[in-house]
Amino acid sequence: MHVKLRPEDIEVFSEAITHFFITCTGETASVRSAFLIERDTPAVWNDFNGLIEISGDYTGSICFSAPRALLSHVLLKMGESVFTDDRHGDIVGEIANTLSGQARRHFGEGLGIAPPRVLDGAAKAFVARASSLPYAIPLRWHGYEAHLVVQLDSRE
Amino acid sequence: MNTPRPAHRMLIVDDSTIIRQRIARLVNSPQLPHITIAGLAGNGAMAVELARENKPSLITMDLTMPLLDGEACIEQIIGFLPDTRILVVSALADKATALRAIKKGACGFLHKPFSDSELLESLLELMD
Repeated sequence: MHVKLRPEDIEVFSEAITHFFITCTGETASVRSAFLIERDTPAVWNDFNGLIEISGDYTGSICFSAPRALLSHVLLKMGESVFTDDRHGDIVGEIANTLSGQARRHFGEGLGIAPPRVLDGAAKAFVARASSLPYAIPLRWHGYEAHLVVQLDSRE
Repeated sequence: MNTPRPAHRMLIVDDSTIIRQRIARLVNSPQLPHITIAGLAGNGAMAVELARENKPSLITMDLTMPLLDGEACIEQIIGFLPDTRILVVSALADKATALRAIKKGACGFLHKPFSDSELLESLLELMD
């Protein structure tokens, strides 16, 4: 049987986003209300998309999707001086990994996390792994928009 | 009078180049004059190989990595370098994971995301 995400589950990801930006950049991100993504809308919008596949007691995926400019600015704040596609892919995957890992404080070690994969902008394949619709959590930082897309079912 | 710290050689293990370089920048800074870098590894298998070759006294270890994960890596390295001090630097924030890593031989745990001051504090503690 699959159990869908509750509002308090979603809140965990919002808090993880806030914590990431303040810790790594010293500046707050404004996290807005999560919304459900309909089946026929593209689930990934941005230049770089870092995907974590979920296993264990849950199925699904967690994807951080961000424009190049946001990631360049985050890299700069983290002391980086190299701004290649590889570095942008690295940081988008690292953000997805960090936000997913933080969520284990709430979900427990049953939330199995794979190493991050970087998807190209057109990829939509990850939407199929869980039965429920994905939630998008929008955030704004330094005027840039990004999204964390969470699609998670519990195996309970 | 302060006792001088012994010299250390550190292996940095993380599948993110950005995180490896961020840790390396701090290790190479004047704040940590007692540590030199013994190697950088992007996965667990490479970490075990570099640990055998370079025999580091300190290691920072990610957990979620391709080829060989951090927990298995700690177990293997502690098998042939039992005195090496390992700091786990991972996003996995549940208590069970931290306890398991400590049980396998890690000395400390720093959660991602971390600030430079948190990393510095953890590395200083690792040397004590």
